[in-house]
Amino acid sequence: MKKSNGKTFKERSFGWIDERYDVTGLIEFAKKKSVPKFRETIWYYFGGIALLLFVIQVLSGILLLMYYQGTEDAAYESVKFISTKVSFGWLIRSVHSWSANLMVLAIFIHMFSVYFLKSFRKPRELTWYTGFILLALAMGFGFSGYLLPWNELAFFATKVGTDITRQIPVIGDSLLILLRGGEDVTGATLSRFFGFHVAVLPGLFTVFLVLHLMFIQRQGMAEPEDWRKLPESEKKQIPFFPNFTLRELLIWLIVINILAILAVFFPWELGNKADPFAPAPVGIRPEWYFMFMFQVLKLLPANILFLSGEFVGIAAFGIGIFLWFIVPFWDKRTPESRRNKAITYVGIFVVMFIIIFTILGFILD
Amino acid sequence: MLKILNKIVLLFLSAAFSLVVFAQSSADECLNCHQELDDELLMPAKNYVNDIHYKKNITCAGCHGGDATTDDDEISMSKEKGFIGVPDKTIRYEVCINCHSDEQTMKRYGSNLQVDQYKKLKNSVHFQPSYNNQGPIADCITCHSVHNIKSVNDPLSRVYPTKVVELCGSCHSSAKFMKNYTSSLPVDQVIKYKTSKHGMLNSKGDPNVAECASCHGNHDIYSINDTRSNVYATNIPKVCAKCHSDSKLMSKYGLPTDQYESWVSSVHGVALLEKDDISAPSCNDCHGNHGAVPPGVESISKVCGSCHVLNMELFEKSPHKKAFDENDFPECETCHNNHKIRYVTDDMVGTQESAVCMDCHSNEKDDKGYFVAGRMKLLIDSLKYEDKETKEILKDATQKGMDVSDAEFLLKDVRQVLIQSRTTIHTFNLDIFKESINPGFETISKVKEEGIAAVDDYYFRRLGLGISTIIVTFLVIGLYFKIRKLEKKS
Repeated sequence: MKKSNGKTFKERSFGWIDERYDVTGLIEFAKKKSVPKFRETIWYYFGGIALLLFVIQVLSGILLLMYYQGTEDAAYESVKFISTKVSFGWLIRSVHSWSANLMVLAIFIHMFSVYFLKSFRKPRELTWYTGFILLALAMGFGFSGYLLPWNELAFFATKVGTDITRQIPVIGDSLLILLRGGEDVTGATLSRFFGFHVAVLPGLFTVFLVLHLMFIQRQGMAEPEDWRKLPESEKKQIPFFPNFTLRELLIWLIVINILAILAVFFPWELGNKADPFAPAPVGIRPEWYFMFMFQVLKLLPANILFLSGEFVGIAAFGIGIFLWFIVPFWDKRTPESRRNKAITYVGIFVVMFIIIFTILGFILD
Repeated sequence: MLKILNKIVLLFLSAAFSLVVFAQSSADECLNCHQELDDELLMPAKNYVNDIHYKKNITCAGCHGGDATTDDDEISMSKEKGFIGVPDKTIRYEVCINCHSDEQTMKRYGSNLQVDQYKKLKNSVHFQPSYNNQGPIADCITCHSVHNIKSVNDPLSRVYPTKVVELCGSCHSSAKFMKNYTSSLPVDQVIKYKTSKHGMLNSKGDPNVAECASCHGNHDIYSINDTRSNVYATNIPKVCAKCHSDSKLMSKYGLPTDQYESWVSSVHGVALLEKDDISAPSCNDCHGNHGAVPPGVESISKVCGSCHVLNMELFEKSPHKKAFDENDFPECETCHNNHKIRYVTDDMVGTQESAVCMDCHSNEKDDKGYFVAGRMKLLIDSLKYEDKETKEILKDATQKGMDVSDAEFLLKDVRQVLIQSRTTIHTFNLDIFKESINPGFETISKVKEEGIAAVDDYYFRRLGLGISTIIVTFLVIGLYFKIRKLEKKS
């Protein structure tokens, strides 16, 4: 490299940018940033996996948008066109569908690992709240995206899914109209879901994702509870850059490989076009992450005391989800960061509950 | 001596006959009085002496009530004696069924007539209420008349086979009368019937040929769209066969009797009788119904062409038309038979032994028909083979999880092309046939290309996946060693 004033071109270029944007400050920050190294470090990677899958979702979603048409007449045909005629369209669609499911799975694992490691405690309450909202938004992405191919299964699953909102007191009916764009699932529902899926949800998701990442960057990675009594010298740390980043990259590559294998060997089926006048087909079911709720509502009796079974179920889920959301608030030991086995037992119960009813949903189908 | 004896016998017979007449007339005082009256009151009595009921010693009181044994009209026509006068038109049939539905009464009069006429009549179309509410449309008297009723076997009876056509025609040939019931029913049946073989022989006094009642039934007549009707589409063949399969009857007319048997196993017979396809032709669809005649050699294609329109049009423009006419070959029948029409297969055309073309054509130098038949068969077989092969390719692609539904949909066109080409055979023109069948080959070629591309794409995807997986795996391994090295250093 040609030298001028004793500096290489690379050094001069860096100096030019550094002078204007204080890159050295950023590098210093990255150098200082570290991640606790202990038995449970593996769980720290799932946030990153979810982020990777979200990026894949955005990129593959943009590509799908180039051909997808969100109308009742053209939606199914356009997805079919993407799958059969567009170069690599089948791969993009399959990757989009698979990564959506893997992303929800990664977020679930990330959430439960945070929960069991009690990382939601002070001072990370807001990180928990924003993370929870991101999970809800991801599920909203899944619910709205499920209808977009306008196939038989999605049509009826959306009908059943949106129908549940009727059970919400006072605002239930209005909410149903808002979601469906009318009394029934029609082309208006499709347009609405398309709008949610590509505009409303991505906008909200980006805001909460930025906040979530910002909180993490400001506070650093949570340390395990056991470390509170350890002297600083015994707390093992690995530098975030490059060690943790390279490890994350390695896991990302493995996830990409898994995603490619799933997309090629198990291409996402399209099924038959939705026909609002046809009888509901056998085996209507929601996406797997809604299955436990769907199955519980199915198993509940028609009436519990003087209330409808479905209402009781939805109310119970509503309360349960709300309590889960505000766990940093009701975990009394949060401020003291003391051990709380009750929290762990509640977590185990919730995980078992979700796993059992999800399996039952698929078995009893 | 013999002359004297004859005169004595004649005198004796005359005396005996007069005695019988006197005895009868003296037994029915109604008749005695009415014979002395004028006009309307005389006519029934005048006619009744020729009525079969009179001959069975049934007095006027048998139908009208009252007492026929006294000449005192105050008594004989009194209500006490049950006199009803002229029975009300709406219920006059009841007078007939009093005896004709009672087996014991009929036996008492020495009659072996069936007693189910009313049972049949009351369900028939004729027993529905008349348009002016004057009883049923037709009752016993409407057909059998009154006071002058004859045995059905009596040539003078109104319902005797040679008379019944006029009887039915008295209503059914009147547009004015028939429109009171239905404007859709034609009124030209009798006119057509008289042009038919049946009608011509019937007019000559042959009671054995079919007339109205032979096909439509007598008391149990239903609308032709009623499945109970003798002339409902699926019942007609048996109605015709009743006479036309009767070798004894048909021998008088020199007609064969195997038509029904042949037709039953034909493509038309199977469609009508086994598949209940009432659009399939029965006897009357080709031969006509009221104006039934056997189609002549030159009119056969017109008969078949009434349904197989395109085939007829193509045949009439074909070189076969002239050849068949010159050789007096019945057109469609020559290849397809008449009653025993087989299910058409592609083996009917071509140069193999089973082909009907070979009945006339042979492998001779100047026989162009032989060459054309061979080429047509070859093209049809090739298209069918290609179609089968392409379906296998698409099946393979589908089994591999590839979406070839558009190609599958397109391939359905080949079936249509085959149907059209089979029809075009009737042009017996190779160029026109090729024009018809070539789009099928073009479609096949397009679909096959898509099918092969789908299968290739399947392997390409796997190859792509394999390569990308290997690259990513190498990157993972490289990264792993890099991290190890890095962490060892630190």
